[in-house]
Amino acid sequence: MIRKGAVRGTTAVAASVIVFALLAGTAAAADTSIAVGAPDSVAVGDRVAVKAVVTSGDAPVEGAIVELTYQASFGGITRRVELDRESTDANGVALLEYEQRAADNGEMRVAYLGPDDIDVEPFTFTIGVAPGGKPQYIPEAGVDIPGLNGILVMIVIGLVWLLLAYAAIQLVLVGRRTSGPTTESYLRGEGSEAGSAWLSMILAMTVIITAVGMMFVLSRNPLNQAETGMTGGYNRTPIGYLEVEYPYLGPGLEDPSIADTEDLLGDGRLIYFEYGCSGCHGVNGAGGVVAPELAGKVGSIGGFAEDVRDGPRNMPSYEPVVLSDEDLAKIHAYLREAGDKDG
Amino acid sequence: MDPMKVESTHDWTERLIRDTTRPVLKTTPIYWIWLAFLVIVFGWGLYAYSLQLREGLLVTAMRDRISWGLYISAFVFFIGISHAGTLISAILRASKAKWRAPVTRMAEFITAVALITGAMFVVIDLGRPDRFFNVYVFGRWQSPIMWDVMAITTYLVASILYLYTPMIPDLALFRDRLKNKVGFFREWIYETAALDWLGTSDQKHALGRGITVLMIIIIPIAVSVHTVVSWIFGMTLRVGWNTSIFGVLFVAGAIFSGIATLVIVMAILRKAFHWEEYITELHFRYLGYLLAIFAVIMVYFNVSEFLTVGFKLEEGEEFAFRQLFLEDFAGPFWFYIVLGLVVPVLIMVFPKTRSIPGVITAAVLVDLAMFIERYFIVVTGLRVPLMPYEPADYFPTWQEWSIFAAGLAFFALMITIAVKVFPMLAVWEMVEEREDRLANHLGKELVANGSLDAAGSAHNSEPTGGVP
Repeated sequence: MIRKGAVRGTTAVAASVIVFALLAGTAAAADTSIAVGAPDSVAVGDRVAVKAVVTSGDAPVEGAIVELTYQASFGGITRRVELDRESTDANGVALLEYEQRAADNGEMRVAYLGPDDIDVEPFTFTIGVAPGGKPQYIPEAGVDIPGLNGILVMIVIGLVWLLLAYAAIQLVLVGRRTSGPTTESYLRGEGSEAGSAWLSMILAMTVIITAVGMMFVLSRNPLNQAETGMTGGYNRTPIGYLEVEYPYLGPGLEDPSIADTEDLLGDGRLIYFEYGCSGCHGVNGAGGVVAPELAGKVGSIGGFAEDVRDGPRNMPSYEPVVLSDEDLAKIHAYLREAGDKDG
Repeated sequence: MDPMKVESTHDWTERLIRDTTRPVLKTTPIYWIWLAFLVIVFGWGLYAYSLQLREGLLVTAMRDRISWGLYISAFVFFIGISHAGTLISAILRASKAKWRAPVTRMAEFITAVALITGAMFVVIDLGRPDRFFNVYVFGRWQSPIMWDVMAITTYLVASILYLYTPMIPDLALFRDRLKNKVGFFREWIYETAALDWLGTSDQKHALGRGITVLMIIIIPIAVSVHTVVSWIFGMTLRVGWNTSIFGVLFVAGAIFSGIATLVIVMAILRKAFHWEEYITELHFRYLGYLLAIFAVIMVYFNVSEFLTVGFKLEEGEEFAFRQLFLEDFAGPFWFYIVLGLVVPVLIMVFPKTRSIPGVITAAVLVDLAMFIERYFIVVTGLRVPLMPYEPADYFPTWQEWSIFAAGLAFFALMITIAVKVFPMLAVWEMVEEREDRLANHLGKELVANGSLDAAGSAHNSEPTGGVP
């Protein structure tokens, strides 16, 4: 999630870029150009160097700022992501470096950012990403000891269960009571009739089935989240996409009508969760680490609305487009009541 | 002892059988009152749990910073108690302790019941118990939670087998002796569970093999269970939990509280069913010695842990030490150290207090102290702030206390019901133990009289014909 402040910042940058572009027009030196030297193919985990040369006519341009970006897709949104930014040396050369993380870079681009307000055609190219390579987000920490793995765990647990199964099978043998003389014992009464020994069978079967089930669970060992990112999967790196504003809409209710009943308080409780109020102000408005307690502490609807709309201190502001007046009133009603209920 | 004056084995055994079956046949009003009390407490806990199911874990005092509380403490405590049983009974059996027979059955019942109770608390602690089976669907063996699931499942199966296997001959005894004396349901239980036991040599051998394997394998399983329980704490980088001593500390603590619980259950059943003849002061004293030994071991582990950690006093440890020794948790902590570890040792040191009431007092103190220890391990570890924020506070809500009380009631309820159905004394083992003892006595007398050489008399495995 992009915080509101950051979004405003990028908007400002985007706006100023447009303004600069309008001011600069096409007056700048059209002969400034960028050339790029890059490897054809890299593997995930590689440190990649891209060499960019900025020239004006034949002369190298010193101190030009260039930016390397790539085309990234995440969550259905495709935007350019900055990989590196450098300025050129006396030879007009800038070495742009990055670590290959994505399984596919899409279109890569080296663009001229300054210092002069000139319009330079960006240089676009592609770098192929070879399959395989290092996993992306698993740190190299850890000592891999050959043989110390899931198989060993299964062998150890399997042995234990084998012994348990052996003991359970002895019970089946007890139940069979076929041969052998009945020993004299003070403990035995007279004339017990033959019962049944099915219980021992069930016990033994239970032990064996549980053992097999356990081996099954162990052997499956589903991938965890970190590993699903092996090739371009789940990416934990926070990426701020440029030139885009994300209005915060809340996680959304699966069925919005459940927060639209006559019950003002029940609705308010749902909406309080929907808009993430609980994230900072705690469940039931009990207060959290970063935000104060609200249950029973909210004043009039007017003051409450003002705070929610403005977002005092670090709180995001919830404008009417995001949070309707009706929903706000429901939250307000809920929070007042929450205080009473908890006492 | 003159063997001729000893009561005949037949008479003694008949009396033992009468005494063992008495609880099954006779029910006093006190039993019903006790049962009703437990059912009410359990029912109240069920009501509290229904609230928790409806409202979520919101009804508990657990929040983002202190996210484990009374439930997890109870889980650790009950899993600890479960070592009573199996570990004590198995170790005593494996080491052929001559006095163990009357206490093993109770110990094994405590194990099975405490384990079920403990496992329940894990599910109770889940905000979404319907997702419990995700642990099997998505569980990975790299996760300590998964180790717990594996170890506890194994232990549960093993301890039920270990409870049941040595009980078969006694169930057969009940089947034969209680025919037409108990209701249809119990008759059916004995008939089914006795597995056609007639005491043939084949059956004896199979039973012997089963018991031998179980008593050996259950010791490492039990040790692994509480080690792994400690590792759900020890595998995290939290102040107070980040210590390598946790495994052994938890196992020692488990046996410690297990012995204490065994003493308490033993004392209650002895009093209730007049088993003074079988469960003697000797049993209390021996278990009291074990208790004292483990108290000393616990003192040693505590000193070892707090000194090594406190000497270096890494960041955060200072806070942990202050809250434990001087501030919020000082009361419970010093109760644990003084009344839970030091006093039981003192009770066993002085001959005057080394009596049955003395041992029972020590056991009650130990159980209280060990519960407190579980509680402050869980809560103080989570209370140490990870970031510069105010430390959170946690005190269980009435719903948590109710559910905890229901857990205790469930434990007692299961034992209470078991007493009415199952043989709580290991009759056949007690008879064997007595025959062994008499045979040894007789052997020694004959050696003393010069009528038998030492080699011939020593440890004759068959009962000699000395008993009329």
